Amino acid sequence: MPEPDVRGAGGVADGSATIAFRGGGFQPQPRRLVPFIVFVLVIGLWQAASWRGWLPDLFMPSPWQIVGAFGDMLHSGTLTRHVGASLSRIALGWLFGTTAGLAVGLAMGIFSVARAGGLPVVSALFPIPKIALLPLFILWFGIGEPSKVATIGFGVFFPTVIAAYTACDSVPRNLIRMGQSFGLPAHAIVWKIVVPGAMPGILAGFRITASIALILVVAAEMIGAEYGIGAFILSAGNLMQTDQLLAGVTLLSLLGLAVSTVLGAVERIVLRWR
Amino acid sequence: MSIRFIAALAAAILAWSATVAASAQEKVSIAALRFVSSSPIFIALDRGYFKEQGLEVEFKFFDAAQPIAVAVAAGDADFGITGLTGGFYNLAGKGALKIIAAQSREEPGYDFVAYLASKKAFDAGFTDPGKFPGKTIAITQTGSTFHYMLGMLSEKRGFKLTDVTLKPLQSIANVTAALKGEQVDGALLPANNAYAAEKAGFAKIIGWVHQETPWQLGALFAGTRVIEQRHAVVEKFVAAYLKACADYADAFLARDAAGKRVFGDKAEALIPIIQKYVQPKPSPEQVKASASYIDPKGRLLVKNIYEQIAWYQAQGMVARDVDAAKILDLSFVKDHLDPPKR
Repeated sequence: MPEPDVRGAGGVADGSATIAFRGGGFQPQPRRLVPFIVFVLVIGLWQAASWRGWLPDLFMPSPWQIVGAFGDMLHSGTLTRHVGASLSRIALGWLFGTTAGLAVGLAMGIFSVARAGGLPVVSALFPIPKIALLPLFILWFGIGEPSKVATIGFGVFFPTVIAAYTACDSVPRNLIRMGQSFGLPAHAIVWKIVVPGAMPGILAGFRITASIALILVVAAEMIGAEYGIGAFILSAGNLMQTDQLLAGVTLLSLLGLAVSTVLGAVERIVLRWR
Repeated sequence: MSIRFIAALAAAILAWSATVAASAQEKVSIAALRFVSSSPIFIALDRGYFKEQGLEVEFKFFDAAQPIAVAVAAGDADFGITGLTGGFYNLAGKGALKIIAAQSREEPGYDFVAYLASKKAFDAGFTDPGKFPGKTIAITQTGSTFHYMLGMLSEKRGFKLTDVTLKPLQSIANVTAALKGEQVDGALLPANNAYAAEKAGFAKIIGWVHQETPWQLGALFAGTRVIEQRHAVVEKFVAAYLKACADYADAFLARDAAGKRVFGDKAEALIPIIQKYVQPKPSPEQVKASASYIDPKGRLLVKNIYEQIAWYQAQGMVARDVDAAKILDLSFVKDHLDPPKR
C-alpha cells in the first residue's frame, strides 16, 4: 500500500505554486502488529468454524484441540525428547551436507575442471528423491542415527553445491580484474573477493537448505525412529490422531521460524561489508 | 378397446419396466488393497454375485490400509475391506464408519503372519516367540496390526512390550531390508514374505501368530451414512460377499486328517480370478501361501474387537471415548462368534 510521504509538502513564501512531494511509498515499511493480527484472525476464524460445526472434527481438529495435544506432550515430557532428537539430526545432517556442499560448490565455482566434472554428476543425482533410497540407506547406514543424518545431509548437499557455484559466478568480474591488476595472489583473490562476494548467494542457499533439512527430518525419521518430531508426526498420521499430527506440524513450522530468525542475524553480521 | 389390446399393452409395459429394472443397477464402490486377503470381493465380482443382487460394484484400490478407512469415512467409497489398525479405530470412533462382516483372521492351522528372527539372532538363540524381550524388532508402523500382534504376544507370554525395542520402518520392503542387513533381531512378516526371507537365508521363521494368539485381523466395513440411508443395498452387498466367502473357504481352507492344508480343483479354479486383481501378480504358489483364513459365513470374533480397542486405548494410541459397541453393526451377518458377555 503506497502511502505518500507528506514531509515535503510545505508552503513556500514567494508567489510560486507549491507542489506536494510526490515521492515516497512503494517501499516496504515494518508493521510489527500486522503479522500478529493476521495470525489471531486466521486462528480465531478457524476456531469459530470448529465451534459452529462447519469444520467437522473428522477432517480438521480445532486450534484448541491442537493446543491440547501440545499440552499432553509437555505433560508427558516427550516434547523435549522429540525436539532434542530431531534438532541433533537436523544440525548434524545440515552441517555435514553444508560443509561438503560448500567445498564442492566453491571448487566448481573457481576451477573449470571441477565444474566440468562436477556439474553433470550433481545434475544427475540432485533430482533423485531421497525417500526412494530409504531401503538402500538402511543397508548402507543401518537404522540408527547415521542413516537419518545421511538422509538430511544428502538432501542439503546438492542445493548447497548449486547455490555456491552460482554465487561464485555472480561475483562482479571487474572486482577480480581489479585485484589482479593490483597484483593480488590467487588465494587472496579467492579469500578476499570471491568468497565474500559469493556470500549473499550462499546465505540465500542456506535459507533454502535449512528448510529442506526440516522437510527431510520427517523422511529421515521414517527409518525406525522412536523419538523425533518426524517420528511423532508419522505415528500420529498412522493412528489418524489429526490433532497430534497438526501439533507436530506446528512444531516444525515454529522451528522453521526460529531458524529463519537465526539466519537473519547471521546475514546481518556476515554481510556487514555491504 | 379390446381386452386383447389392453393385455398386450400391459405385457409391453411389464416387459419394458423389467428391462429398466435390470439395467438400473445400484452403483456402489468398495475400497480395497490388491492383496489375496481381498479375494472374496474379487470372486463376488468375477462370478457375478454382485450382479445377481442388482449391484454394480466399482473397486477403488489403495496401497495401504489407512487410506481405505479414510476414503470410506470421507464418503469417497461406500465400503472398505482391510486390516484393523489403531488408525482405523480412531477414525471409526468419530462415527463415520462401522464394521459389518469379517475378513481375514488368525485361525489355528492357517499360516498368515510369522515371527521371524534374523539369521544372526537365530544362531545366537532367538529361536522361540517367548524370547522377544531385549530384542530389537522391526514393524511397519506404530499402531499397525503387527504392533498389536506383538502386544498380544507379550500378554500371552508374560513379558513387557516396553522390553522390546520397536523400530517402525513404514513398509514391508524396509522391514525386509533391515532384516537382511542384520539391523534388527527380528520382525513380523506376512507368510509370503516370511517364506521368501527364509528361502533367501537371511531370516528364520520362529513361530506363527495363529499358534499363539488367534484374532480378528481384518473386516468389511461401510460408511455410517451408507448404512443409514441405503440399508437394503448394504444387505445385498453383504449377501454377495458371504456367497463369495463360502466359495473361498470351500476352495482354500480345506485340511487333511493330519491338519495339513490341501488345495484341490476348487482352489485351482479360483486362483486365476485372484491373479487377475492382485498386484504384483502372484504365482499360484504365492496365492496359496497368502490365502488367509476367512470365515465362510463372514462372522467376526466380536470379543476380540473389544479387546483390540481396549489394548490400543491402554497404549494411548486410540482415544478413550471410542466405544466398540458403536463401531460394530452386527445386524448384517447372523451368529457372530464369541460375543462379549455383558
